[in-house]
Amino acid sequence: MFLQTLVTGLSIGGVYALMAVGYSLVFSILNFSNFAHGTIIMLGAYVGYFIISNLKLGFTFSLVGAIIGAAILAVLNVKLAYTPLINRRASSLYLMITAMGVSIFLENMVYVTVGSHFYSFPEIFKQTSIKFFNSDISPLDLWALVFSFISIYGLHLFLTKTKLGTAIRAASYDMTIASLNGVNMSRLISVVFILAGSFAGLAGIFLGIKYMVYPTMGWITNKAYIAAVIGGLGSLPGAVIGGILLGVIETFVSVYISSTIRDVFSFSMVIIFLVFLPAGLMGRHLEEKV
Amino acid sequence: MKKRIVGLLLITAMVLSVFLSACGGQQSSPPATESEGQEQEAAEPIKIGHEVALTGDASMWGQSEKNALDMEIEKINAAGGVDGRPLKLISYDNRADAVEAVNVAKRLIEQDKVVAIIGPAQSGVANAISSVTEEKQVPFIGTTPTNPLVTVTEDGTVKKYAFRTCFIDPFQGTVAAQFAYDKLEARNAAILYDVGSDYSSWLAKYFEEAFTEMGGKIVGKEAFRSGELDYRAMLGKIKQQNPDILFIPTAQKEAALAAKQARDLGITASLMGGDNWGSPDLITLGGSAIEGGYFVNLASLEDPDIQDFVKEYREKYGADPVLPNPVMAIDALYMLIDAIKRAGTTDGPALAEALENTKDLKVLTGILTIDPETHNPLNKPAVIQQVKDGEFIFVEKYVTK
Repeated sequence: MFLQTLVTGLSIGGVYALMAVGYSLVFSILNFSNFAHGTIIMLGAYVGYFIISNLKLGFTFSLVGAIIGAAILAVLNVKLAYTPLINRRASSLYLMITAMGVSIFLENMVYVTVGSHFYSFPEIFKQTSIKFFNSDISPLDLWALVFSFISIYGLHLFLTKTKLGTAIRAASYDMTIASLNGVNMSRLISVVFILAGSFAGLAGIFLGIKYMVYPTMGWITNKAYIAAVIGGLGSLPGAVIGGILLGVIETFVSVYISSTIRDVFSFSMVIIFLVFLPAGLMGRHLEEKV
Repeated sequence: MKKRIVGLLLITAMVLSVFLSACGGQQSSPPATESEGQEQEAAEPIKIGHEVALTGDASMWGQSEKNALDMEIEKINAAGGVDGRPLKLISYDNRADAVEAVNVAKRLIEQDKVVAIIGPAQSGVANAISSVTEEKQVPFIGTTPTNPLVTVTEDGTVKKYAFRTCFIDPFQGTVAAQFAYDKLEARNAAILYDVGSDYSSWLAKYFEEAFTEMGGKIVGKEAFRSGELDYRAMLGKIKQQNPDILFIPTAQKEAALAAKQARDLGITASLMGGDNWGSPDLITLGGSAIEGGYFVNLASLEDPDIQDFVKEYREKYGADPVLPNPVMAIDALYMLIDAIKRAGTTDGPALAEALENTKDLKVLTGILTIDPETHNPLNKPAVIQQVKDGEFIFVEKYVTK
């Protein structure tokens, strides 16, 4: 029982972590919560779904297509909606409100064009379970967990070992000084959004396969946002730890206390963290957060 | 999330209705289709009103319901009508809209002077017109409004002029429990339901009551909140109890997801659900996980009792009837004719009393007895269907005890 709950919690947490990474990446540079991230995840899932079910190109193409598609959409999002505001040096509060607007706009565009129908990915993984010390885990969950960690580790390597990664880290400390030192800010922001978009596409595919594809699926990212807050907004290791922690705690609450108060618990945690530990577990910034 | 969807639907509906009314500018009155049976000059026809959605989202069922009634009334009139008087069906489109339905009911009662109304099919619509029918003392027999509060008020008093031929939602829980205990020989059952939906909560409650009453044991009852997608925490708990059957009285989307996750966790129990499962979405979303699952339904094309009707309908209209509305409407028609014969009059209060005392009447879908306390059918046969090879198959017709 305990082990099964832990395994389930880890696999839920893995998805939260994947989504929280996208939030934290953008937050670390632009210092605002990109609420359009969930919508990009949703659109990534749609791209992946249509590639696999309408073009019948198979899972690999669907995965790659969703990642590329979501990355392109994320870049369009920043170029069309955020760049004009950044250029005017608008406060990050306005960026966050714009993000909400973008999110509602895109969601409704999907309603109008694709419709509110629910789609389900064809069965890529057989509906079986793998025995694991007397508890069961589905192949998809295992695969998603492993893949999430590989890609997050890849991102970590990129940020620490490459020149561009160093520039991003520099900018996350101080944008003005980084640009004074010759970092091309608009290109850097694009790169960050390409990365966040790729993670959104990846998360979208996993969510789509695990659950289903529909216009409001991006709202699951509320949980990823909580994870990012717990871990400390803007911190990548924080996002991962926050995601895993949230997934595990939530599962334990539903199993040992009550499944109906699970969300009450999660959202109380956000409030408690924001009041007593605004920087989260791993956050560094203690400036104004929106 | 649900609220957002509902809100969006409302806006779409509003925009659409404005658009539609702008298009049909010349038509000042709602389109009325009157189907006249065989004219008999000597006897005054008995006028029966028909509240039906002929346009809009529910029109697929509404059109089929009207076709079926037209066909049946033609047959009855050809055979001499009721007490020597032909029947005349007056169908008006209510667009499955509560406001429109009230107008239609008023028009049917005040202008057309119908003796009774067949329909409507939606619970909300039926609730709306019951204020009119109670006041004007004209009975209506709903076809598929399954909410318990259509025929009784909140405090439990029965509405004198409100009837229906379908069973109420919670009754499906009873059917499922008895079928599981009786036919599937399940002794330990678990329930996973949506705490945010009345439908789901009621079915779960009735299932639990009926199953324990028969001697079975509920080993786990877990709830989730509407809009949630991950039930593995609850299912993990259920798995420890190792139930024979898992009852999931939710909409098809949640049911499909729960089935997938249950199988992922290695739960091997048979799955069961209510009539909300009866949508092709269940199969496209649930895939192989939902295979073998049973659910309760109002009607099925493969029901042996309605084969003659289905055959006749196909011959006349060249298509399958869209169930369950047509068969429920025909049940209502039989019920009404029987009441007119017994009452010997078409007077509203007398007719309502006769309808209330409907007992062991042979109707299309089986034997109909009305419970005078609630105006719901008693022990109405329910159809049990199963998902097999990606299709819904008819298992049997189950009558509760």
